[in-house]
Amino acid sequence: MPDFGATGWGRAWVRAVESTAVTTPNPLLPKARSLARNDAVTTVDIAPGRLTAEVVDRGRHHRVTIDIPLWTGQVRLVADRLVARSLAEHRGLAPGDLPDALAADLASHGIDIAVPTDAQTATCTCASRRRPCSHVLATHYALAQRVDEQPALALTLRAPRRTGHRQGDPDWIDLREVDAAAFYGG
Amino acid sequence: MPWPDRLQATFVPAEHAVAFWGPLDLVHAHDLPEGRPGTCRFALPADGRVEPVDVPVRLVDLDTAVPALRALPARSAALGASVLAWRAAARLAEDGDPGELAARLPPAAHAVLNAEETAIMSARAALTRFHQAVATASALRATGLRATPRPYQVRGIAWLRALAAEGGGGVLADDMGLGKTLQAIGLLATRRHPDQRPHLVVCPTSLVGNWLREIQRFAPDTPVIGYHGARRALPEHVAAGTVVVTSYSVLRTDQALRQQHWDTAVFDEAQQLKNPDAQVSRAAAGLTAHARIAMTGTPVENRLTELWSILHVTNPGVLGSRARFRQRFAGPIEQRRSATAAARLNALVGPHLLRRTKSEVAADLPAKQHTTVACTLTAEQARLYTDAVDRAFATGLGSGIARRGRVLALLTALKQICNHPAQYLGENGENGENGERELVGRSGKFDRAVEMLAEIADQGDRALVFTQYRAMGELLCRQLTDTLGGDPVPFLHGGLSLARRDRLVHAFQTDDTAPPVLLLSLRAAGFGLNLTRASHVVHYDRWWNPAVEEQATDRAHRIGQQRTLTVHTLVTGGTIEDHIARLHQTKRALADVVSRDAEAALADLSDADLHSVLELNPGAIA
Ligand SMILES: [Zn+2]
Repeated sequence: MPDFGATGWGRAWVRAVESTAVTTPNPLLPKARSLARNDAVTTVDIAPGRLTAEVVDRGRHHRVTIDIPLWTGQVRLVADRLVARSLAEHRGLAPGDLPDALAADLASHGIDIAVPTDAQTATCTCASRRRPCSHVLATHYALAQRVDEQPALALTLRAPRRTGHRQGDPDWIDLREVDAAAFYGG
Repeated sequence: MPWPDRLQATFVPAEHAVAFWGPLDLVHAHDLPEGRPGTCRFALPADGRVEPVDVPVRLVDLDTAVPALRALPARSAALGASVLAWRAAARLAEDGDPGELAARLPPAAHAVLNAEETAIMSARAALTRFHQAVATASALRATGLRATPRPYQVRGIAWLRALAAEGGGGVLADDMGLGKTLQAIGLLATRRHPDQRPHLVVCPTSLVGNWLREIQRFAPDTPVIGYHGARRALPEHVAAGTVVVTSYSVLRTDQALRQQHWDTAVFDEAQQLKNPDAQVSRAAAGLTAHARIAMTGTPVENRLTELWSILHVTNPGVLGSRARFRQRFAGPIEQRRSATAAARLNALVGPHLLRRTKSEVAADLPAKQHTTVACTLTAEQARLYTDAVDRAFATGLGSGIARRGRVLALLTALKQICNHPAQYLGENGENGENGERELVGRSGKFDRAVEMLAEIADQGDRALVFTQYRAMGELLCRQLTDTLGGDPVPFLHGGLSLARRDRLVHAFQTDDTAPPVLLLSLRAAGFGLNLTRASHVVHYDRWWNPAVEEQATDRAHRIGQQRTLTVHTLVTGGTIEDHIARLHQTKRALADVVSRDAEAALADLSDADLHSVLELNPGAIA
């Protein structure tokens, strides 16, 4: 099984980051893959339209922020319709999963799950003059892995849903949400 | 940290108890039960946040806590809102609407932390579990269960009942020895209404008899049918609540099991279902049952797909298709040790799997004591031992696979010599011209074991003796029968029929006139045997893998056993047994990472190194 892009959803992100390398090989890609393989990309945070991560490279910490355009207008409408139809067809889907058929469906309607690096705004705190730097590229590979594990994250990035995808477990309350002042009651 | 000035109460599901805390002197002032002292991990307020802390508590079991809470006054300056909220919950008993009450429960009443200590139980979840626990305890009383389940077992039964009520499934994955069978019986016995369908228990063939007996013992009012063997037959109509016990080999091909609609199907030793392609796994997944429960102490023995396979039977769809499971979980976790995938898998499986380890419930288990009994070689043993080593090295051990085979043969010879010269020489004691040759006086270890066992029998105690060699078991059997007098000492080994093994176990557990010693060949004894009447376990010879010895010990070290268990390991000084004992110490330090290749590792040593491991240490000769 490939380390990156085991599902259709993760594969879309791997293709996006490697698309420019088809004509001119990007010498930074092997290093980026190696960083991602060796757990150098930590605390990946995936929010609507924004991906942030910390990358540790030779002992130095670099902060990566990547802004990714949300689906809007007609694209969003079509995407929502395709997603809704697919979820209705796959009622027994495991939490966090999305069918690969939906990824293919979106692609065939011209809706990109992933965004090539030249269509994003990416920043990194490193001093490299090459942009995107290896840390930004490594973050893409780490993203592909997270998306493989939880395909629903691919939609979180592009088309946030108001209802949310099963946020947390109703049996447990995060400590940050416990009201300390009312702890002992009235 | 601001300590509350009023008494607090928190329901702790894992303890099947209410924890009282804060100003504990107020417990007396309100005639509340003393309970048992303990420490709980709760989240408490500090600097405007809540944080995990150790809280000294008094734990009062639900059976006493509920009436005591009901009797409290509705208002008191000394009682915190958490106590009053649990008073209200106790008064609602088993059939109130917990929804309304949930709003009245302050965080202090449900401050129990999750395993990661990142969250506390919600008020609604705490109330639901409280009512499940109270209902379970009273259902068990009404059923007349002939056992007093430990608090964690009541919690387990309540958990199983909640799953079954929803028509779902789950995996009971408690450590071996924690009484999974009793918890399953508690579930089956309390799900018995006139309109309910029968239950099915599927287990390995060697455990069918055990299940039938345990159900009759713990739940005598529950009808039970054994369904196995060539002449098996199900009655035309199986009565409601009847438990049908069958084996995996029957399940594989049987049509009648497939046609019956079951209430609850229980799969014991469910690692038998770990291969999703096997016919038995497909037959299990194809059963029609309202609820499906798997029991196993090792939900994952080697590969994560085993977990998928078991959950595919109990909770189909929860982990997605097998191919998707490989992409999302098995691949990331096994290939690149993905922490995020592991955390997500835990979160997905968590609600469907209950696992408690022995150390978590240690306070509920009687103690286990290990002793090593040092033995010496007789002159005859020392001569045989030195000869065997010298001959092997003089002939040459060769290399590669041939070397491995010769080293293995030498190791076996040395272990047999330590056991008894008669085992090594293949004397069966009956062909000699002078009849049987005397066994005593020829092996230091043998003599010591016979003395010890005679002493144990004199005290009125019972012992299990494990050996890995059939021939050795026969020798011990002969001598012990002679020394102890009375009926022949039984030897449970692979050559006996299942029915015969069952009878031996049953006699040992229940018959006061049966010999107080039972000899066992562990490999033949299979798993799941319940031999809790023993208060001593003797390991006559050593296994290379300490886990095998631990497993043997656990036949006797189980819930239901009241006395301390003493585990005796016999080690002949200066010999290969000493080497194995040292090896075990290092392996135990490595916890679960047990390599099974100790023998191969010896074969890889150079001749000189191997010789220094195996040569007899002269100090050891008697
Ligand atoms: Zn960078």
